[in-house]
Amino acid sequence: MVDFVQALVDGVTLGATYALLGLGFTLIFGVLRRLNLAFGPTILVGIYAGSHLWAAWGAARPGVLPGVFPAVLLATVGGAVLAGAYVERLSFRALAHQAPVVSMISSFAVSMQLQELVALTAPTRTMAYPAPAWLPTVTLGPILLRSDAFLMWAGATALLLVLFGLLYRTRLGRAIRAMADSPETASLMGVNVPVVGALAFLIASAVGGVGGALIAASHQQVTPYFGLWATVKGLTAMLLGGAGSLPGAVAGGLLLGVVETESLWLLGGQFRDLAAYALLFVVTAVSPAPRRGTDDV
Amino acid sequence: MSDYVLSVLIRIGIEVFVALSAYVLLLMGRISFGQQGFFAIGAYAAGIATALHGAPLAVGIAVGGAVAALAGLLVAIPLAPKRGLAFAAGSLAFGELVRIALLAFHYQVPVGPDLVGPAGADGFRGIRVLFTSGLSVSAYAAAIYVLLAATLVASAWSLRSRWGEALRLIGQDEEVAATAGLRVAAVRMGAVAAAGGLAGLGGALFAHYATYVEPGHADVMLGVHSLAYGLIGGLGTPLGPAIGVAIDIGLLESFRILSGYRMIIFGGLVALFLIVRPRGLLDEVAVRRLARLGLSRGGTRRA
Repeated sequence: MVDFVQALVDGVTLGATYALLGLGFTLIFGVLRRLNLAFGPTILVGIYAGSHLWAAWGAARPGVLPGVFPAVLLATVGGAVLAGAYVERLSFRALAHQAPVVSMISSFAVSMQLQELVALTAPTRTMAYPAPAWLPTVTLGPILLRSDAFLMWAGATALLLVLFGLLYRTRLGRAIRAMADSPETASLMGVNVPVVGALAFLIASAVGGVGGALIAASHQQVTPYFGLWATVKGLTAMLLGGAGSLPGAVAGGLLLGVVETESLWLLGGQFRDLAAYALLFVVTAVSPAPRRGTDDV
Repeated sequence: MSDYVLSVLIRIGIEVFVALSAYVLLLMGRISFGQQGFFAIGAYAAGIATALHGAPLAVGIAVGGAVAALAGLLVAIPLAPKRGLAFAAGSLAFGELVRIALLAFHYQVPVGPDLVGPAGADGFRGIRVLFTSGLSVSAYAAAIYVLLAATLVASAWSLRSRWGEALRLIGQDEEVAATAGLRVAAVRMGAVAAAGGLAGLGGALFAHYATYVEPGHADVMLGVHSLAYGLIGGLGTPLGPAIGVAIDIGLLESFRILSGYRMIIFGGLVALFLIVRPRGLLDEVAVRRLARLGLSRGGTRRA
């Protein structure tokens, strides 16, 4: 029972990372109805920007950490937004009038570029990423709450509140939601569809950057493999949540995290990914046929 | 022909089978991220047939294709009615499930002095029938290209038949296809099974050339690449995916001198290429123009 609860706590923590990745993925898919396979590598660029900043400035001076972490976070988000702007320009805006699958393949090609670019800047491959040192480790009876759990939960909740505030309390948010509902209607109501689409893309990349910073801080390191991993986990979280709903992506991410840690505990290491993909397959297989017009990738 | 050129040609030939399998589904409006799963199933099945049960090479390759087609038929039951993102997600899950299942798949049989067979994460070594049968690598390459030519002709023919028309109509509008009296469910099942069989043939040919397969060969990158080939080479004809493979592997090989920057250049080229020709090199319009050119030349000759 204790193990089950511990696995549940760990699952929710892991799930929070997946939820963050799923949110950015969903924001892009919900508005543009296109898959961005370069989403993970976009975040990867941001994380490496943060890592390089940390390596240049902070790593050698242990005392400066509290001030450096926000700077590293800022560099991560900035790098992700910059890479996102590049992907948006090349794979989405330039192909806006083509079939969605063309954007998907193009974003995959760009993702290979971003991954190799990152690998070139880091010959040793693995790079350190700082974690805020002031976070406590708490034990509640037999249950252990690691410091990165607090970081993930607090970060994910804060990010979620900011994002939902933006989407439901601002003019831009209303335009984004209108576009997700129907680009044609939004355009008739005076929404500048290309601009709002691009802004939503950049916001999603920034969300991905914050999520990536939290994940890298809890792992305290990053490798170029993070890119593909983040794309697959974000895509899975989005799909489990029903594709296109932001609360759904959060629920999908949490579900994915809990299923992975519980099956790891119940069945063993091999079954962690097996259970995750079996879940995805079953959810896909039993999902009802989509409404017309919502099923184009 | 040097061994190096021969190995590049064999790689191209094998990948065209996987690219064709993704292309068939693309015509039906389905985006698959899982064809690498059928590739691996075909590779393992063919290896088991020849290395463990002593089947001749040709039989082993046929077994690989057939088992993968059967797997396709099974996957098609839940998945073929799905469209868009649901199909993409289901196929991704299938491909990854195959990879993870192969990590746990142990089936070793003593053959002579050694244990041979799939050994989980250590892979499946000793698929040696190509080399013990005395067939040369160049003869094997020739056999691959004969099989490939036959497959391309058969695909071109069946895509022009009523079956192919139905496939494309389902890709454009499934409700209209059903209203037109087409047996939509049967065509969908057939297409997913045929695509599985094509990828499985590629896997079977690969296993006997490499003499070794491992779960890592069912990597999702193979599936995404095979999707890209159709879009680069063109969706207008089955030759399109083949051209896509030749461009990709040909370019990768010529960029070897620039190693380190290869993916940066190649990724950028593909992205720019898709802006200029979003339906690939040989799209429907280009194919029609070429066909008309051929017809008119034939006409003048007759006159």
